Amino acid sequence: MVLIAAVFTGLLAGSLRAWINKRRLFLPELKLIWVVPVAYLPQLISFQFPITRKMIPDSWAAIALVGSQILLLAFAWSNRRAPGFWMLGLGLALNLLVISLNGGMMPISPDTVAHLALKVPSGTWQVGSRLGTTKDIILATEDTRFWWLSDCLFLAILNHPIAFSIGDLFIGSGIIYFLWTLGRKP
Amino acid sequence: MKTRLQHLSLNISHLDPRLIRLVLIILSLALFALGAGAPTSGGELGG
Repeated sequence: MVLIAAVFTGLLAGSLRAWINKRRLFLPELKLIWVVPVAYLPQLISFQFPITRKMIPDSWAAIALVGSQILLLAFAWSNRRAPGFWMLGLGLALNLLVISLNGGMMPISPDTVAHLALKVPSGTWQVGSRLGTTKDIILATEDTRFWWLSDCLFLAILNHPIAFSIGDLFIGSGIIYFLWTLGRKP
Repeated sequence: MKTRLQHLSLNISHLDPRLIRLVLIILSLALFALGAGAPTSGGELGG
């Protein structure tokens, strides 16, 4: 959800920029835009829908995640000349790299989980298993390949703790920058 | 007599193409963010 906030922040910033400069929003035509909902569908089924996400085995969810992100990478690559899309692509590539190298899920350390799930008893999760129905797998830092690309960054916004990766930072920045440029001169 | 579907398609064709493009851009970025990113919040864990 924090990345959805980036979409709203960018849209607000771009709209304000256009309004101050007395211009209409510049709306570029994105290539392969239909790929995005198609790519997201497997993740919707595997991670979002409450009924299906509990039915799908973790191994299938991992395949769905990696396959979905490869398709999204194709979308980012085909729009690489659009402002900010290199950041979107780089962020996704970094996430995809660490996910692929660690069994198809985003690694998260037990320490970070403990920070996140203060209200959840520690016995409800264990190292080596998927963290609930999220995209994360709990792995010790020493067992994580490229741990510095994992969900190792931590932030608490209005008392809501969030763990995120360097890739997420690039994605959020790319979205805000792209939407900010919609307020520029065409 | 026009069917409901024809009415609907006429209504959609009257929408501003710029508005449609803006909505498509926002939706695609939102879905991209959800699919490409992997942040995890305490709320997802019930915490």
